[in-house]
Amino acid sequence: MATVAASPVLPRRREHPVPWKAMARVTWLQRRSTLIGLLVLFVGCAVAIVVGQAGTHASYASFVANGCVQNSFHTPCGNFENWFSDNTDLFSAMVIALHVAPVVIGVFVGAPLLSRELESGTFRFTWTQGVGRSRAVVTTFVLLAVFVTVATCALGLLLNWFAHPFEIIGIESQWQSGLFDTTGPMLAAWTLFGLALGTFLGSLIGRTVAAMAVTAAIVGGLLVASFVWLVHQLEAFGALATTRRMPMGLGVGQLNLPGSQFNGPVGSWLVRAWFTGPGGKRLSSAAANNVIGRMYDAVKGKVIVDPSRWLSVHHYIYWVGYQPASHFWIFQVIAAAILILLAALLALATVRLVRHRA
Amino acid sequence: MNVVETSGLAKRYRSTWALRDCTLAVPAGRIVALVGPNGAGKTTLLHCAVGLCTATNGNITVLGDLAPGSLDALERVAFVAQDVPLYKYLSVRSMVAVARNLNSRFDQAQAEERLRALEIPPDRKVGKLSGGQQAQLALTLSLARDPDLLVLDEPLARLDPLARHDFMALVMAAVAASGFSVIFSSHVVSELERFADYLIVLARGRVQMLGDIDDLLAGHAMLSGPVEESDLVGEQFAVVQTRKAARHAELLVRTTGNSELPSGWESDHVSLEELVLAYLRDPSASMLPGPLTPDELEVSEVT
Repeated sequence: MATVAASPVLPRRREHPVPWKAMARVTWLQRRSTLIGLLVLFVGCAVAIVVGQAGTHASYASFVANGCVQNSFHTPCGNFENWFSDNTDLFSAMVIALHVAPVVIGVFVGAPLLSRELESGTFRFTWTQGVGRSRAVVTTFVLLAVFVTVATCALGLLLNWFAHPFEIIGIESQWQSGLFDTTGPMLAAWTLFGLALGTFLGSLIGRTVAAMAVTAAIVGGLLVASFVWLVHQLEAFGALATTRRMPMGLGVGQLNLPGSQFNGPVGSWLVRAWFTGPGGKRLSSAAANNVIGRMYDAVKGKVIVDPSRWLSVHHYIYWVGYQPASHFWIFQVIAAAILILLAALLALATVRLVRHRA
Repeated sequence: MNVVETSGLAKRYRSTWALRDCTLAVPAGRIVALVGPNGAGKTTLLHCAVGLCTATNGNITVLGDLAPGSLDALERVAFVAQDVPLYKYLSVRSMVAVARNLNSRFDQAQAEERLRALEIPPDRKVGKLSGGQQAQLALTLSLARDPDLLVLDEPLARLDPLARHDFMALVMAAVAASGFSVIFSSHVVSELERFADYLIVLARGRVQMLGDIDDLLAGHAMLSGPVEESDLVGEQFAVVQTRKAARHAELLVRTTGNSELPSGWESDHVSLEELVLAYLRDPSASMLPGPLTPDELEVSEVT
């Protein structure tokens, strides 16, 4: 008779569910003062934005009531535009404050997160508790990331709401690097990146002040680079081109101007302009300026009604590169995705450093 | 079951070997003293046992076959690190709450009762407590985890004699109540005998002496007699240490054989402190358990 051998009973591994609630309590106990400080800052910014928006509400309502959104050329509209131009201080201050938020969070939340533990030796307490070092670090990071990301996203959305009248009137544009980096998704992505970089550098350097300084330098430097250069480069990518009849006041090269019924598709963002000459060859900047000079010389003393007539006679065409309004969120998603990807890589590198720290 | 077992364990920090070819097995239910001079590798060995460091070579397991630092091991091994690194800016009550939330098994009532008995105020900041109170707090948090193995790295180093006594009394009371194993490293050799029943001596990253303290003491003797016969006596025994004066010599020897002493020579018991210091003075000497004899093997199999 055949017998069937009983299969050996293997010891079951204990399951260890991730203690999110418990780690939230630990995070709160360990970082109460930092979190309260951040909350005060966030609420302060939110209150300032709401107060600022309320201050512009009456003027913007009058601007809309006078039909200035459709046609801004009649008399009272200019007064409203002047009022908005004269009252940008708080708005500009909030744009700057929100730009600084990722640096502040990277420096004061991210950098000390692990460096303080390593410096003071408390990692020898935390990493030997039942929760385990990787889970302690990951859960703390995720909880802080959710808090700062949600808060800064909300602040970015509030700033967009504050910026809306300024954009309609034409003083500001969400395509400009200042506002491009402070929309809800982008501010949240920058903040997440700042937090992740600070945490990584803290675990790598192991010294709090040094980690804070390096984090401030890198996040601050990247934000400045984005403001000055990166956003313009991104927005120039895959720009559409159209010819315009009225090159007056635009010139050639980088533009970074809102499009209108005169200089480009309405609602678009003009990124650059150039001339093509006879045969369709693109002119260099020097050659283009020479053409503009010749055009002005030709019409000297006359009222220039349509300079494109002189240009077409001489087989020159003025081109404008632009991004249609519909591309704005595509660029937002691309830029935010790059930052989130970098943050995820830094977080993974941090976990690896923590896991192998011996 | 062995609470800690290593095989050829080695740990290198850059170009310095902190541990080399360290092979040992610590049986369960013992209070183990880990002794050695500065830089001997005591902290490194303990860090490897609690998962704070990874071995460069060799293996280490805890509580049978658990990998140090694994979640299963961390749940059952409690550690009080050197200098008692606690969150100094937290109150005692918050520190207890942190420990409770970092562990799935934690007896908060027991911790609070112990802290009350120790008269440690729950609202005081940890950093404002005395060194002794901080050590007691760290120990209380570890004991509240109901560990199977308690690892203490130099717990007595910063404490005054009274605090040392109170600290070890708390450990002994908890061991008596729960029966867990303890490994503690210490420089205070004179007090080991009162607490420990198993000894590991580390020197230059290697295990130099290992075993049950009673067996180690029974296996050694201090022989004293005329200095001119010391070489002759020394040939009959494995000499660990020789001290010679003008007319008198003292030999610390292993007493494995039945050699008889010449007249004029006396044999005396050796204290644990004398034994440890003798081995530490001569790093080339070692006293490690060898293979079991046929008699021992028979006893081992029967039991």
